[in-house]
Amino acid sequence: MRRALRLLPRVAGFALDAVLAYRLRSAFVILAVALGIAALTVIVTSIDGANRKALEIVDMFGHDAVFLLGGDIESRAVGKRTLTLTWDDARTIRQSIPGAYLAVPMRAKSNITARFGSRNFDLPVVVGTTEGYAQVWNWPLSEGRDFTAEDVAHGAKVGLIGDTVAQELFGDRSPVGQIVFLGSLPVQIVGRLSYRGLSGGGGSVDDRIAIPLTTLAQRFNLDRKYFRAIRVKFHNPEFMDAHVENLRSLLRHLHRIAPDQPDDFTILTADQILQFLAMLRGGLVAFLGLTAGGAILVGGFVLANLFSISVAERTTEIGLRKALGAATWAITAQILAEAAMLTLAGALLGMALGMGLGQALSRLGILEIQFSMKVFAIAVASALAIAAIFGLRPARHAAGLDPVQALRRSEG
Amino acid sequence: MAGSLLIELDRVEKTYVQAGVDTRVLRGVSLAVGRGEFVALQGPSGSGKSTLLHILGLLERPTAGRYLLSGEDVSGFADDRLSELRNRHFGFVFQSFYLIPYASALENVLLPGLYGPESRRSLEHRAQELLARVGLADRASFKPSQLSGGQQQRVAIARALINQPAVIFADEPTGQLDSATSAEIMQLLADICTQGASIVMVTHDEETAAFAQRRIRILDGRILDNGGPGPAEG
Ligand SMILES: Nc1ncnc2c1ncn2[C@@H]1O[C@H](COP(=O)(O)OP(=O)(O)OP(=O)(O)O)[C@@H](O)[C@H]1O
Ligand SMILES: [Mg+2]
Repeated sequence: MRRALRLLPRVAGFALDAVLAYRLRSAFVILAVALGIAALTVIVTSIDGANRKALEIVDMFGHDAVFLLGGDIESRAVGKRTLTLTWDDARTIRQSIPGAYLAVPMRAKSNITARFGSRNFDLPVVVGTTEGYAQVWNWPLSEGRDFTAEDVAHGAKVGLIGDTVAQELFGDRSPVGQIVFLGSLPVQIVGRLSYRGLSGGGGSVDDRIAIPLTTLAQRFNLDRKYFRAIRVKFHNPEFMDAHVENLRSLLRHLHRIAPDQPDDFTILTADQILQFLAMLRGGLVAFLGLTAGGAILVGGFVLANLFSISVAERTTEIGLRKALGAATWAITAQILAEAAMLTLAGALLGMALGMGLGQALSRLGILEIQFSMKVFAIAVASALAIAAIFGLRPARHAAGLDPVQALRRSEG
Repeated sequence: MAGSLLIELDRVEKTYVQAGVDTRVLRGVSLAVGRGEFVALQGPSGSGKSTLLHILGLLERPTAGRYLLSGEDVSGFADDRLSELRNRHFGFVFQSFYLIPYASALENVLLPGLYGPESRRSLEHRAQELLARVGLADRASFKPSQLSGGQQQRVAIARALINQPAVIFADEPTGQLDSATSAEIMQLLADICTQGASIVMVTHDEETAAFAQRRIRILDGRILDNGGPGPAEG
């Protein structure tokens, strides 16, 4: 055992000599392994990114709130009426559901251009809402004020501006007090929403302007009675299940839904959003996992083949080492060390490739990539596993060579 | 290792079985090699010289018979145990040199030492000395492909000496060399022998065999003439 420990660094030295001597073999193995590890790096980092993003989304959504949507999921899918929520619903929820302290209605109008002076910004959405908008989304204002009840009651032409829109239209100047045209509607900016930096669906959440729901309905000819959604915030989020049940009973009663009829609304909670995101992520993991697994398998087979060929070519060398006194384990260890050195080099290269690829993908907004020790550990562990699994057969074959046969063969 | 008899073979048989056909290569060979002896194994091609050398060198196991190393029967030893014995007590020189092509002369000389217990420093020191002794002090960093055949065989001889072996086994060590170079190599081996190592050499060249003190003749796997009264004392 002590002898083996002393020999180990020497065996590693032999392996290094061989790795440097057989450069073409080394290059191919490194490259093949690097491709697999690159794929793996992309998958691990992007799953991490997706997890972080899911947490951010849920964080913004809040564990103390629900999002109430008109229409149930099925009727929405078949295009039935989804405008089922009314001002009465919002008021009754706030007044009679225990723990509900905010109920803010919302409706969106898409594809409106905002204009200030000579500058334009295409808004993915203009949101119509009421007082409490910033609070109900846990979205502090960096300047100015939220809507007031009077703004809503009078259909005032006032607005809250998203951070990106403010940047685009006003640069470093303050937007508060300025008039922005939404199409032909002049709106005075009264508040600026702080930067959220969250994207998803139709672009970033910072790309919006919000105005009173009454103003939106009047000026853009939308239904005045109904709207799309209500966000409800509760005290005591630990009783969320009960809150949701209360909300459902109340709405079924308000909408006069018979016991055998389905809901005409949908209640979304943070938990459901997490589940949905997890499902999306599961698809991503399966797809990338198959890709990475395939790439690593290919790398492993390349290694196994090149090493088998190499052991056959180096029969004389291996026979000689055994004749001169190398123990069986020393030969196995040398070949495995050669494999491990190459797969580790491949892992380093693969991580670099994967990070590069990931950077490109995250710049396109497809994935979010961040390097972590976890990626490093997984890449190194996979590299060692590839070496051990795919190098073992050639290594044992080499170690099992009969020195006399090996030397006689090369004489013939 | 007491006693003057280093290696004893007792009625050794070697039979190869290939595709169901038995080839009896050695048929009851009994033989002793003493300390400091220079023995030549001679015989026609296919008579079993190399096979006998491999068995003497613990590279192959006899099919039957006993092998005594300094009086101890090592026939039943495990492979790795035999590797250790070869590494510690034996040196090998082959007809085709068998140097590692990508390693320098010095590294080739070091090789058997690195599989043994000695420290790298003292091994390197001795390797340099040995290269100087075989006249290649200035070629230590050369690769085998940069050396002539005679020089390569000198490196191989230095390699055989690195662990200060009791016996050197040489299978036609001059088989690939011209006669002038052969004579140099043989002189080198003879010098090594006078310094205490035994040498067992296979050859079918009479001039080469003339360097040995004792000649053993083999025919069809049997010893015809074991070369005289046996090992000399001392
Ligand atoms: N692995 C093997 N399987 C079957 N037969 C073998 C094997 N190895 C050697 N032989 C046979 O054993 C016989 C002796 O071979 P060996 O190499 O010992 O002869 P040699 O005296 O060294 O001949 P040469 O002078 O040509 O080197 C030959 O007939 C050879 O074919
Ligand atoms: Mg032979």
